[in-house]
Amino acid sequence: MKNFKIDHRITNGFEVLDLYGELDAHTASQLEDALKELINNKKSTIIVNFRELDYIASAGLGVFMAYIEDVRSIGGDIKLTNMNDKVYNVFDLLGFPTLYDIFRDEEEAVEKFLNEIK
Amino acid sequence: MNRSDKQNDQRLNFELKTVLETSRMLVESRNSTFIMNNLLLIIMGRLLVTKAAIFISDPVTGKYTLKKQKGFGNTGGGIEGIEIITNEEQKERSFFSGKELPETFPVKLDDPDNSHLFNLRTNNNHHGFLLLGAKANRQPFSKNELEFVEGLCIISTAALVNSQLFNELKNTYRNLDRRIHELNTLFDLSKEFNLLVDREKISRIFKFALLGQLFIRTFILIFNNQDELTVLASSGLAKEPSAKKVKDIFTTIDSEVLLPDEEFKKNHPWIARNEIAALFSISIQNEKVAVIGVGERANKVPFSEADFNFLKSLANLAVISIQKTYFLEERIDKERMEEELSIAKSIQQGLLPDPIPEVQGVDLAAKTISSREVGGDYFDVARTPDGNTIFSIADVTGKGVPAALLMANLQSMLHVLLPVEVTLSEATERINNIIFKNTPSDKFITFFWAKYLGTHKILQYVNAGHNPPLLLRNNENEFEELSDGGLLLGAMESIMPYQQSDVQLNPGDLLVCYTDGVNEAMAPHDMEEFGEKRLMKCIINNREKSSADILDAIVDEVKNFSGHKLADDLTLLIIKALD
Repeated sequence: MKNFKIDHRITNGFEVLDLYGELDAHTASQLEDALKELINNKKSTIIVNFRELDYIASAGLGVFMAYIEDVRSIGGDIKLTNMNDKVYNVFDLLGFPTLYDIFRDEEEAVEKFLNEIK
Repeated sequence: MNRSDKQNDQRLNFELKTVLETSRMLVESRNSTFIMNNLLLIIMGRLLVTKAAIFISDPVTGKYTLKKQKGFGNTGGGIEGIEIITNEEQKERSFFSGKELPETFPVKLDDPDNSHLFNLRTNNNHHGFLLLGAKANRQPFSKNELEFVEGLCIISTAALVNSQLFNELKNTYRNLDRRIHELNTLFDLSKEFNLLVDREKISRIFKFALLGQLFIRTFILIFNNQDELTVLASSGLAKEPSAKKVKDIFTTIDSEVLLPDEEFKKNHPWIARNEIAALFSISIQNEKVAVIGVGERANKVPFSEADFNFLKSLANLAVISIQKTYFLEERIDKERMEEELSIAKSIQQGLLPDPIPEVQGVDLAAKTISSREVGGDYFDVARTPDGNTIFSIADVTGKGVPAALLMANLQSMLHVLLPVEVTLSEATERINNIIFKNTPSDKFITFFWAKYLGTHKILQYVNAGHNPPLLLRNNENEFEELSDGGLLLGAMESIMPYQQSDVQLNPGDLLVCYTDGVNEAMAPHDMEEFGEKRLMKCIINNREKSSADILDAIVDEVKNFSGHKLADDLTLLIIKALD
């Protein structure tokens, strides 16, 4: 099993979380901690980049459900980008595209945020 | 070839090409709206028709639904239950005239004579009709034109059926995919839960899996462990419920699944305020252990039976694992308690004299047996600074740890007072007053102690409410009871001094001090006590033996009498005066 890892960086003033490996029941709490920390620091324009994520389980998706309202209530959003087909399929299957902005590329998410701020 | 033939050929060519192109486009398309739209537009364009509509048949009712129309104004699509055929034979023909339509037909035709209904069919299956209004120039359709429409209808119907099948397959496949995903989630989590002993972590993973899988934001898990309700996990709640609400929610849900209706929401406003859409009660072996509430789906799609089944399966896994963590904790607690008690027991045993000191002129034996790990019985044998010996025996009310604590307290007081030059009577009074001040009013100690003056063979004693020790004089068969003293310790502050008495011990005299574990030992089935009479008889029967043997004989008889189940602590202190 590939190790799960989260890197945090800032692009154009937006918080970017890069996910690596497998996000499952076991590792979901790490993502929760990372999101909680951003929210606690009032960082609410969040992009989650899935480029290096190989697998996602329902518990991983649940973390996004648990925090999306918190983020939006402080005027931000969580935008999801660069999913491989397998990962996107899970999001699609469970109905996520109706609630979340999902982009092929991180650039598009940045652009969307810039437009929203205008 | 004349001009008109050539023209005809060209037109035929053109129409064939159209049919071919259309057919390719349609067969590739899996979108029924696109297919219907194209059918209408191509035919209207080619044949200069201003009104056209597609009706699809409902095989069950035999009626039709208007799926798509152009040129009829704002009628829109979706009108259901339309009657079209007056005669089954119409479904066999390629087309029939608009004037054959029944009067109930909802759309008004300008020129029914020149309007046609084309059969939309594949092989032998009828799917619906294409209604074509009259041409804009009011000319009847030519043979070629009719054939052209027929051809397009056949291709389009095939494409429609294809797209329908494709969509059904796609849906089936998607549903299958969802189920597979659910099964994977169940499988992963059952493995994960098995490894975990931290119930908060289990609850959190359970929460996230449900939020993700069901696409919900609101969640609460109430768990019942030995009638103590805890909210183990929640998400998206406006406010955590108070203990009272938690209890209300938990006790109200008595069915497996409850979908709150208006009445229910009125009675439980918290459910309405937090938009709880479904509540589940999870039982293990007919005992309700958890209630789970979930909000509606974020995309408002209602829950299906399959969703509920998934939730119940996952909830069962989680709840069993959570229960396991409680059991584990109880076991650890119990083991720790047992360990602490066994330490306490060894500490308590350390408070008793070991070995029993030898006292010149008397044969001495003493022993205490606890019914529990620790107990409230106490005896002591200690030297005083003036070279004499103190004997004592005591019984604290109650059993277990509280009694043991008080016993330890008495032991330390006694040893503090030993070197002090006070009489037994005064010392007893001080002990009584301290115990009265420092202990709850329902805690007492019955206490007997005596100072043995070796040179004079005199025993000075004070009995503070203890079972009178039995003195059996040499060559006598009647017992004397040493009952002088006063109130038991801790009951009230001393008003009167404790009475102190002296008895002379002559060789062969035997004194047996005991606690109520001896005389009040119960026979296992009838409610009979061992009693003083049996004790006295046993003493007399064994009077020739050493103190240690007499002690063993009494203990054996009490044990046999009570079926080896001692309900209370049992202590004996036996003194036999030597020559």
